[in-house]
Amino acid sequence: MAKQIVMDATGDTRHEFDPADAAAVAEALARFKALTGAGFTAAVRRGAGTSELIRDFDPAAEETVFFSRLRGG
Amino acid sequence: MRFDVIYLPPWVGLLALFLLCLLVCALVLEHYRERSRGRAAELKALALLKQWLSPAQLAQYNIHGHFEVTGCHSGKRYRIRQTPQMNVDELDERGARTVTWCFGPEGKLPIGDVMLAQKIALENDEQAALAVANRGNPHQTTLRFA
Repeated sequence: MAKQIVMDATGDTRHEFDPADAAAVAEALARFKALTGAGFTAAVRRGAGTSELIRDFDPAAEETVFFSRLRGG
Repeated sequence: MRFDVIYLPPWVGLLALFLLCLLVCALVLEHYRERSRGRAAELKALALLKQWLSPAQLAQYNIHGHFEVTGCHSGKRYRIRQTPQMNVDELDERGARTVTWCFGPEGKLPIGDVMLAQKIALENDEQAALAVANRGNPHQTTLRFA
């Protein structure tokens, strides 16, 4: 199962989907587009401690984390 | 000026006292519920952070409560501390703090989420992260590190 993790005030909200299920992938793609369109950054975990920013939906990514736009604190 | 004293039956006072107690109890209960929710969020965010750290970063974090990352553009080292503000230290080659940076995702997020977003940003898009960050005086805080 692939996982989309959206950071929020509760820690995060997780959405799991089966990459072999076309309907679930379409739903995950729509979520990806909605979040990145709203300014969220998407990053996938590649290996131990390494990650990569993505701008296009990757249905093969096991874990994608989303966080809101960065700003100065 | 003349004031009229109104005498109320005793049950009115008792009812008011009862309602006041009820209100206080509800406020105290809500306060503890909110604290519990906040604590659960912190734990969840820290668990996620630990999953995304490299073994070396995780070891640093477990011992010191902070970890270091390398900026993808400059190759500089940064220390990300578990404090809510001004928690990113730029380090020189000796590991001394030269600049303190403050940035994070918009919204109210638990500190573990903020630290993870900072790590991902510095390791993958350092220039964009520092472009929005506020630069602080490295000598302003008096924290000591092992």
